Amino acid sequence: MAEDVQPSRNTPHVDEPLTDRLKGGVIITVIALLLVLATFYISNPTVPRVMAILTGVVGVAVIAGLVPVRGPQDFYGGLALVLFGTFALIASAELPGQRGFAFGPGTAPRLFAMILALVGAAVAVIGALSDGPRIEKYKIYGPALVIIGISLFATLIRPFGLVFATYLAFLVSIMGSKEMKWVESLIAAAAMTLGCVLLFVYLLNLPFQLWPQANAPQLLLNQFADLFKSIFAMLAKLIPGLN
Amino acid sequence: MSELLSNLALGFGVAFSPMNILFCLLGALVGTLVGVLPGIGTVATIAMLLPITFGLPPVGALIMLAGIYYGAQYGGSTTSVLVNIPGEATSVITCLDGHQMARQGRAGAALAIAAIGSFFAGCVATVLVAALGAPLTSLALLFGPAEYFSLMVLGLIFAVVLAKGSVLKAIAMVMTGLLMSMVGSDLETGAGRMTFDIAELADGIGFTNIAMGVFGFAEIIRNLELPEESRDIVSAKVTGLMPTRKDLIDSSGAIARGTLLGSLLGILPGGGAVIASFAAYTFEKRIAKDPSRFGKGAIQGVAAPESANNAAAQTAFIPLLTLGIPPNAVMALMVGAMTIHGIVPGPQVMTKQPELFWGMIASMWIGNLMLIIINLPLVGVWVTLLRVPYRLLFPSIIVFCCIGIYSINNSPTDVMISAMYGVFGYWLIKHDFEAAPMLLGFVLGPLMEENLRRAMLIARGDATVFFTRPISGGLLAVAILLLVLAVLPMIRKRREEVFVE
Repeated sequence: MAEDVQPSRNTPHVDEPLTDRLKGGVIITVIALLLVLATFYISNPTVPRVMAILTGVVGVAVIAGLVPVRGPQDFYGGLALVLFGTFALIASAELPGQRGFAFGPGTAPRLFAMILALVGAAVAVIGALSDGPRIEKYKIYGPALVIIGISLFATLIRPFGLVFATYLAFLVSIMGSKEMKWVESLIAAAAMTLGCVLLFVYLLNLPFQLWPQANAPQLLLNQFADLFKSIFAMLAKLIPGLN
Repeated sequence: MSELLSNLALGFGVAFSPMNILFCLLGALVGTLVGVLPGIGTVATIAMLLPITFGLPPVGALIMLAGIYYGAQYGGSTTSVLVNIPGEATSVITCLDGHQMARQGRAGAALAIAAIGSFFAGCVATVLVAALGAPLTSLALLFGPAEYFSLMVLGLIFAVVLAKGSVLKAIAMVMTGLLMSMVGSDLETGAGRMTFDIAELADGIGFTNIAMGVFGFAEIIRNLELPEESRDIVSAKVTGLMPTRKDLIDSSGAIARGTLLGSLLGILPGGGAVIASFAAYTFEKRIAKDPSRFGKGAIQGVAAPESANNAAAQTAFIPLLTLGIPPNAVMALMVGAMTIHGIVPGPQVMTKQPELFWGMIASMWIGNLMLIIINLPLVGVWVTLLRVPYRLLFPSIIVFCCIGIYSINNSPTDVMISAMYGVFGYWLIKHDFEAAPMLLGFVLGPLMEENLRRAMLIARGDATVFFTRPISGGLLAVAILLLVLAVLPMIRKRREEVFVE
């Protein structure tokens, strides 16, 4: 969710500017629409579908400027939780419910999902009616590099071993900082890698792959193949004609 | 009383074996070392260091874990004072006055008072745990599923009421946590719930993945966008480690009150060290003759929360050891560690494995002693560690966390899940949602559901059972009262705002 909002906390505002409203409204509406679509794949769709449609209507109303959003932080946060609750309802829709006195596996998740959606709606209503802080601007560059660094570690650790995974994850995530200096970073990454190897492999005796395996590139490709296969399997379930 | 003494004697007999003292010392040392690193909290520290203890005998492993726990707690305070980055949630409040003291060149006094306060709180809490252990265990026998459920509701309500911001948002976070805990196989039927046929989710979302993502990665991402000066390191030399006589006199009352408050809040599920430190600080500020000194380097503002969080950290073991309920995230990890060693936490631990139970309680005291011994001389070392600029520190923390997460299950997927929770945590921060109630909901979720289901089954589907059984009804009544008390002033305030308009 990336409602980009220009930070202007010092200037008092009566209504939020047009761009915020558009971004927030569009994001809410799109997710709500996707959830409405998702309800066509489950057996008891009425409740989540109504919830998703209602949230979508709110989203459209926000775009149209019909909702006076006075506390954007709470308003959009609450709506997101409503959508999250709806999503959980859809995800747990196929689980058997109460049988006699006994709870089924689906009873508690649906109960908590409903409560979450209700509380989220209450947060959103309060956010719409009472003045609250704006949403701070989301940074993209720094967080993205940190996340890419972590993902890199996850992908490389099996096939290429601890040394390469640590070194590269360090280098990529350090680029997320504005104060990064190249020479220093290269040295620090090497030092950190050495330290981690000494600590985890020699001191703590953890069973890590240190260096790349003989068929590392192949293993890496296999990992990606597996990932695509599972994504494809999921899509195939949603779109009947794909297979 | 004599029974208490003989039990403690048994415990000290176990804990004072050279090997166990060594484990405790090692645990406290490593715990402090990792806890000092900003951005790595107690939970993350324990999660990271959990694998080290697998090879040890059960008593030794738990003693070492307890050492790590206290070390991490104390390490967190050190960073709060020196760098103004709380190592973990429990020492957030210590930043306010501790860092101000450091800027005035009194970092040594602040750290020493924190250590002394912690030690005092630790001594009191150890005795309290030992004294309350037995009666509470017998109380546990009166508890049926309905009572357990209500107790956990009370715990969650406590977490909600004492959270920083809006009560409603905290409830929403608890619900989010509960919902996330439902992912994975159902305990009774084994049906996969909300797993989308992803094999890695069949066992549920790992607790450490969430904790590292939301508290570790999200905090780092957040810190990256803060301006440079807000995370400056005290460059002034740490001089005069020992607090003056005046410092000691000034802080003695705060230490005593913090200990009391912390011990009480620690026992309650959902209370825990974080809330205890906040409550103690607020309390000190409220009763102070000159509240404006707080936030400008008042020594009471360091002494009270540090004593409180240590006392709470310790009494938090009470519900775990007697009722088998983990009152907070750290204790949930302890449950994990105990299960690995074949110990099921609960009332039976005390009767079946007295050496373990009392040994652990005795080791709490030893752990606190270790902290004083380690930290007073080693403050200089921690300071040099913190001289490392943040731009080099944060990638180190990231790779360290990655390796820690990976080492738990040897699973790259866990690392990816943590990364996603990092993004989620960043979103939570942007919308001012607190992650701590969510984590507690996540921890208590499976236990709550299990007891809810059992209670409903026993009562033949009659939901009023939670109110008609006296203990359960009493717990729920307290919970509702708390909630009302928390919401009332807010409504009043809002009304006033309306009137002003």
